[in-house]
Amino acid sequence: MSISERTTTAPPMTLGQRGILSRFGPSNRAAFPWVLMAPTLIILFAIGIYPFLYSLYIASHNVILSKPYLPRIFVGLYQYQALIQDPEFWHALRKTLIFTVQAVFIEFWLGLGLALLFQRQLAGIAFMRVFILIPMILPPLVAALIWRYMFYPGAGLMTYYVGGITRALGFGEIPFLSDPTVAFQTLVFVDVWEWTPFMFLMLSAGLASIPRQPYEAAEIDGASSWRVFWTITMPLLRPAILIAVIIRTMDAFRTYELIVIMTRGGPGNATTTLNVFLTKTGLEFFDASKAAALSLIMMMIIIVMSFVFIRVFRSKTEVAE
Amino acid sequence: MKKLTYSMESPAAPLVQRNWWVYVVLILVCLVNFVPYLWVVMTGFMDGASASSATPAWFFTPSLEAFHYLIVEKGIMKNFFNSVIVSLASTFFSVTIGMFCAYALARYDFTGRDDVSFWVLTNRMMPPVAVLIPIFVTFQTAGLLDTLAGLIILYTAMQLPFVVWMLTGYFRDIPRRYEESAMVDGDTWFSAFRKVTLPLMMPSITATSIFVMILSWNEFAFATFLTSTQAKTMPPAIMAYSIGADIRWNVLGAAVVLITAPLILFVLLLQRQLISGLSQGVVRK
Repeated sequence: MSISERTTTAPPMTLGQRGILSRFGPSNRAAFPWVLMAPTLIILFAIGIYPFLYSLYIASHNVILSKPYLPRIFVGLYQYQALIQDPEFWHALRKTLIFTVQAVFIEFWLGLGLALLFQRQLAGIAFMRVFILIPMILPPLVAALIWRYMFYPGAGLMTYYVGGITRALGFGEIPFLSDPTVAFQTLVFVDVWEWTPFMFLMLSAGLASIPRQPYEAAEIDGASSWRVFWTITMPLLRPAILIAVIIRTMDAFRTYELIVIMTRGGPGNATTTLNVFLTKTGLEFFDASKAAALSLIMMMIIIVMSFVFIRVFRSKTEVAE
Repeated sequence: MKKLTYSMESPAAPLVQRNWWVYVVLILVCLVNFVPYLWVVMTGFMDGASASSATPAWFFTPSLEAFHYLIVEKGIMKNFFNSVIVSLASTFFSVTIGMFCAYALARYDFTGRDDVSFWVLTNRMMPPVAVLIPIFVTFQTAGLLDTLAGLIILYTAMQLPFVVWMLTGYFRDIPRRYEESAMVDGDTWFSAFRKVTLPLMMPSITATSIFVMILSWNEFAFATFLTSTQAKTMPPAIMAYSIGADIRWNVLGAAVVLITAPLILFVLLLQRQLISGLSQGVVRK
């Protein structure tokens, strides 16, 4: 009796499993994409959302890492308020924005210029591409170490040769990393050195995907190359520009290795960007709550910026088409 | 005048003299981009005396002093192999997992698709230093501090948004009807995916993998704070040997050679795949 029961109940079970498979399988066009995305979303949730929620929790309390015995008190929005009233925060924010805008602006135009030059298909040009890409392939840590060495007083190539020229002209040594204003521009220079190849690569890919017909039409109409550039190349390049500029802006905004290794935010606080300010607050003063609040503010700024970028570019692309 | 119009019309036109300035500009750019690296690599092969001289020594007798110090005395090869394991494993996992997510985003039109893809990207926006403290605490409780497994999990999660964004664009370029006709012929969804879509995707997957591998190999902030002795990778190790009270420039140079050798080799070997893969999908229309 029990045996026959088992044999009769077995087939419905496999049918039931098949039912689950078909319910979430490829035939179900509503659920199947979520099945495919599930592993990614779970991992991102665990490593992305959890720290985010934890940051929210810490930012609403007073957690000092070096004093774990202190009771954790709920302080509400106090940490954000304290930050907004802190002139050091505004200083760091201004430095970060100036750094990001300067670096991305220069990188974009240099990268675009290089990409246009590479369109000429000259002999030997493919060989040069490898050399141009080198700074981007190097670990950011290594790029920072290289330039720290290059600018090192009494040892680096830059201080030796550029210093030789400026001494001969009577200016004396250039204080590459010891003068507040010069140090900031030095950092922008190194960032441009490191990431122009990235812009170049992305924009080259964009140029390669532009169809030939509009150019042929423009040539028949006898348009000048300047006009062709502004009315054909730039509008058609917009998707590539969008991606390249967003990625670069996000990364420049949180530049870390470069500044920490070359200047540690100094001299004074001339190169203290938000990320350096964050590192100092969290890992030197151990004020985890202030650091968490700061990191949330930073993330908000980045999200808003990329949202604006996407909006602006989308509307412009639609107008152009 | 006649000759000039001719050269503008045909891309296969013979080189014209007015291109000389392009060469000058490009060679200058190449020098600016390459010489700093070359100089540091050369320093790696100097002995202590010529590396620390105030006048740049372009000609010197090569010495392996710094490599001997790093490899034999400091055992840096352990860090090297840690880096190899971590970047290979995290690349494998992030590409394998992210591939299916990208496929779903590219192929299916479901409610919330744009939100999911934007949310995936926001995961890349958090500054690493900002999530460091919560991740440190989590790793401590899970016993993942200073383990290769911990780093692999973390890097897989870090690279996923990038993989998903790159591959979504590539998948869109592959016409859906290829798979559909395979499925009409009786293949299941998975075998159609494996036999039709995947081979077409291989160049893009290769390009994405190279990128992700480079990013994992280069990662510095997490590696510094989450590892100490057992799982230390190359970047923090190099940081420890090249910045200190007295800097030995030739040790810095040798360290740079060791960490960049695989990268340069990789890019030289796979340049074509890297660039063609990128131009295929990054800019989709």
